[in-house]
Amino acid sequence: METLGFLLNGFGQALTPQNLAFALMGSVLGTLVGVLPGIGPTSGIAILLPLTSFLPPTPAIIMLAAIYYGAMYGGSTTAILVNIPGEVASVVTTLDGHQMARQGRAGPALAIAAIASFVAGTLGLVGLTFFAPPLADVALAIGPPEYFGLVVLSFSVVVSLSGPSLVKGLTAAALGALVAVVGLDPMSGERRLTFGTTTLLGGVDFIAVIIGLFAITEVLLGVEARTGAISLAPVGRLLPRAEELRACVGTMLRATGVGFGLGLLPGCTPGAISFIAYDVERRVSRTPERFGRGAIEGVAAPEGANNATTSAGFVPLLALGLPATPALAVLLSGLMIYGLQPGPLLFEKQPQFVWTVIASMYVGNVMLLVLNLPLVGLWARLCRVPYAVMAPLILIFSVLGAFSVRNSFADVGMALAFGALGYGMAKLGYPTAPLVLALILTPMLESALRQSLSMAHGSALIFLSRPVALVLLAAGVALTLWTLIARRRR
Amino acid sequence: MMRVVLIALLVAGLLTAPAAAQPAYPTRPVEIIVGYAPGGGADVAARLLAAYAAKKWGQSVNVVNMPGASGITGALRALNAKPDGYTLLLEPHATASMLFAVESDVPFKMDGKTPIGLITLDPVIYTVKADSPWKTLKDVATAAKADPKAFRYGIAGVSGVAAFSVSQFLFSAGVPLAETNKVVFTGGAPALTALAGGHTDFAGQQWSESAGLVAGGKIRGLAVVNPTRLPGLPDIPTAKEAGFPDLDVVGWQGLAGPPKLPAPIVAKWSALIEEASKDPAFLEQAQKVSKVIAYKGPDAYWQFQQDELGKYLPLATKMGIRK
Repeated sequence: METLGFLLNGFGQALTPQNLAFALMGSVLGTLVGVLPGIGPTSGIAILLPLTSFLPPTPAIIMLAAIYYGAMYGGSTTAILVNIPGEVASVVTTLDGHQMARQGRAGPALAIAAIASFVAGTLGLVGLTFFAPPLADVALAIGPPEYFGLVVLSFSVVVSLSGPSLVKGLTAAALGALVAVVGLDPMSGERRLTFGTTTLLGGVDFIAVIIGLFAITEVLLGVEARTGAISLAPVGRLLPRAEELRACVGTMLRATGVGFGLGLLPGCTPGAISFIAYDVERRVSRTPERFGRGAIEGVAAPEGANNATTSAGFVPLLALGLPATPALAVLLSGLMIYGLQPGPLLFEKQPQFVWTVIASMYVGNVMLLVLNLPLVGLWARLCRVPYAVMAPLILIFSVLGAFSVRNSFADVGMALAFGALGYGMAKLGYPTAPLVLALILTPMLESALRQSLSMAHGSALIFLSRPVALVLLAAGVALTLWTLIARRRR
Repeated sequence: MMRVVLIALLVAGLLTAPAAAQPAYPTRPVEIIVGYAPGGGADVAARLLAAYAAKKWGQSVNVVNMPGASGITGALRALNAKPDGYTLLLEPHATASMLFAVESDVPFKMDGKTPIGLITLDPVIYTVKADSPWKTLKDVATAAKADPKAFRYGIAGVSGVAAFSVSQFLFSAGVPLAETNKVVFTGGAPALTALAGGHTDFAGQQWSESAGLVAGGKIRGLAVVNPTRLPGLPDIPTAKEAGFPDLDVVGWQGLAGPPKLPAPIVAKWSALIEEASKDPAFLEQAQKVSKVIAYKGPDAYWQFQQDELGKYLPLATKMGIRK
C-alpha cells in the first residue's frame, strides 16, 4: 500500500534530530499554552508564526502543529486540579476531573487524561493517514440543514446535564442562550443587547465566562467554606487501578469515534464535541449516577474526544485548505507563506512534506504522553498546597487569562461578573454545565437555522427534503423525549 | 489631550530634524492591530508587512489580533490610541469604506484616522461548484433570471466584499435580487465550503479565500475582477473578457493610524510600503498567499477610500442593505 510506504518515509524524516527537537519544543509550548487559561493555541501559533521565516517549512510546521495538539493535553491539567478549564474543550473534564482531585485522586485523573488523549489522538491520526481525501468529501456534504440537525441533537445533552431539577437546568440553559445572543447579529450586523456600549459589540467572550463560572466561583465557594486545600486526602496512587483502565478501553474507543467523526466537520467546535462524548459515555454506562461525582470515564471520554478532534481537524485543513478552528487558520497561513497550497494537490505535489508532518504528529503524541505522565505526581501534589496560597494564585491567573484573550479589561470585568453569578447559581442549586453548553451551541443553532431557511426562501420544508438533516432532527427529538421519560422513572 | 499631541509632534519634530545623525522612529516595538481573527485576509496582509518592516528597521513589529464586531473592535482600539506611531491599524475594505456604505451609525468617523497607504488588493473571483453545469458568467445570469427562487448564493458577512460583488453582478445581469436566496456565512471559508458541498450555487469571494479550493478542484472560477488574468490562474477570464466589463468590486487592505499622526511617521511607513511594492522577494511572498500588491500613498489612499464609498453607498441603498 503506497500510503504506508509514504508514511514510513515520513517517519524517517520525522525522526531526524532536528525535527524531533522541534516536535518536542512545540509539544512543551503547546502544553504550557493549554495549561494557561486565556492563552490558547491560536495565540501561541500566531505569536510564533514570524519565526517561521527563519526556518525551513517542515520543522516549522511540525512545531506549530505540535503546539496545536499539545494544547489539548495541557488543557485538562488545570481543569482537573483547580477547576479552571485551560481550553474550551476541557470544560467538561472539570465535571468529574475536579471531583476526582477533591477525593485525592488527582493522579489517576491526570493519568487517564494523558492516556486517553494519546490513544484517541493516535487512532485519529490513523484515520487521517488512510482516509483523508474521501473523508474531506464527506465533510463537504454536511451543509447548514445538517448542522442544524446536529445542534438540535446536541441540545438534548442539556436535559441530561440538568441534574435533579429539570427546571433549573433549563433556566441555566436559557441564560446561556441569552448571553450568547449579545453582540452583533451574525447576518445583518445589527446590535443586540449591547446597551449602547462598544465593549459588548464583540459579544461576551467565552473564555471570560468560563474563567468566571469555574475558576472564580470555585475560589469564592472555597474561601467561604474555609477549605484547607483542594484535597486533604493524601496523594495516593498516581495511576488508575487496573480494572478502571480496562473499563476505560471502551470509553476511549467511543470517544475516538465521536471526536473524530464530528471533528471532521468545520464549524463543529471541540467544546460541543467533548460534551457529546461525555453524554454518550453516560448513556452507555450501567451506573450513570457516578458521573458528576468523580467517574473516571467522565474524564477519559472528553479528553480522548478532543484529541481525536484535533487529529480530525487536519483532514479538512490538508485536504481542502479549510481550517476547522481559528488555530488551524493561523497554521494555514503559515503553510501558505511557504507556498504550500493545501488541497488534494498537496498530497500529490508535496508528499514528502505532508507525510513528514503526519508522521511527526504520531511522534508528538508519544512525546506528550512521556512528558505528561511523570509530571502527574508533581501536579497531584499541588492539590495539597494550602488554599491560602492557591486561592490568590488562581485569582491572579484568572485575571491574567481573562485579560489576555483580547487584551481587554472589559473581559476581566466580565469574568468577575460571571464569577459572582456562578456563586449565586451554586448557592441556589442551579447547574452551570447547561449554561456553558447553551452558550456554545446557540450561535451554531442560530446560524445553521437562518442559513438553512435562507437557502429555501424562508421555507422550513428544507429540513424535510434532506434525509440526513431529517434523521438528525428526529434523533434529537427522540433522544430528548427518552431522557425526559427516563428521568421521570427515577 | 492637546498637550499629548503637541508633545508628540515636538518629539517627532526633534527626531526627524537631523535625520542622518540620530536613531529615528521606531525606537521600540510597533503594534499593528488587526480587527479580525488570525489567518484571515487582513491578518495575512498585516503579517506580510510586519515581517518586512521588522527586517528593514531592525525593530520588532508585532501583529495584535483583536477580533470582534466585524473589525470594529480592533479599529476602535487602534484609532483611540496615542498618535505616536507605535499603534497602527491594518484596515481592510470592510471597516475603511464598505462599513460606512452599509451602516449609518458607526462608532467612529470615516475621517477619524490618518490614512498611511494602500498595501494589497484581493481581486474577487466568481466561483461555482466544480461539476456545475454553468461554464461562464453568462450561463449563471441566464439561469438566475430563469428561476431566481432556486438560485442560492453564499456571502461572507453582510458588509463584506461578496455582499457587493455578487449583487453587482446580479444587478448588471438584470436578475431580480429580492427573489434570490442569499445565505450569509461568517467568513470566506465557510461560504466557499458550502459552495463546494453544493449547498449554494454561486459565490464571489476574494482570491486569497478561494485559491485553495480552486487549486484543489472543488470549485471552479468563472471570472476574476482584475485588469488582467491572475498569475497561477491562466484559465479564468477577466470579468471584461467574460462579458461583464462593469464589474469592479475588489477587496483591499491598507495601513492607517490614529488621527493626527505625525507626518514624518506617515511618510516613513508609506515609503516602506512603496519600497516593498517594488521588491521582487516581497512580491513573490505576497503571491504565495494570493495577494496582489498595489501601493497608494497617503493622499491617493484617502481619495481611493472616498471613491470606494462613492461606489458602494448607492449600491448598498439600491440593494436595501443600508441601515
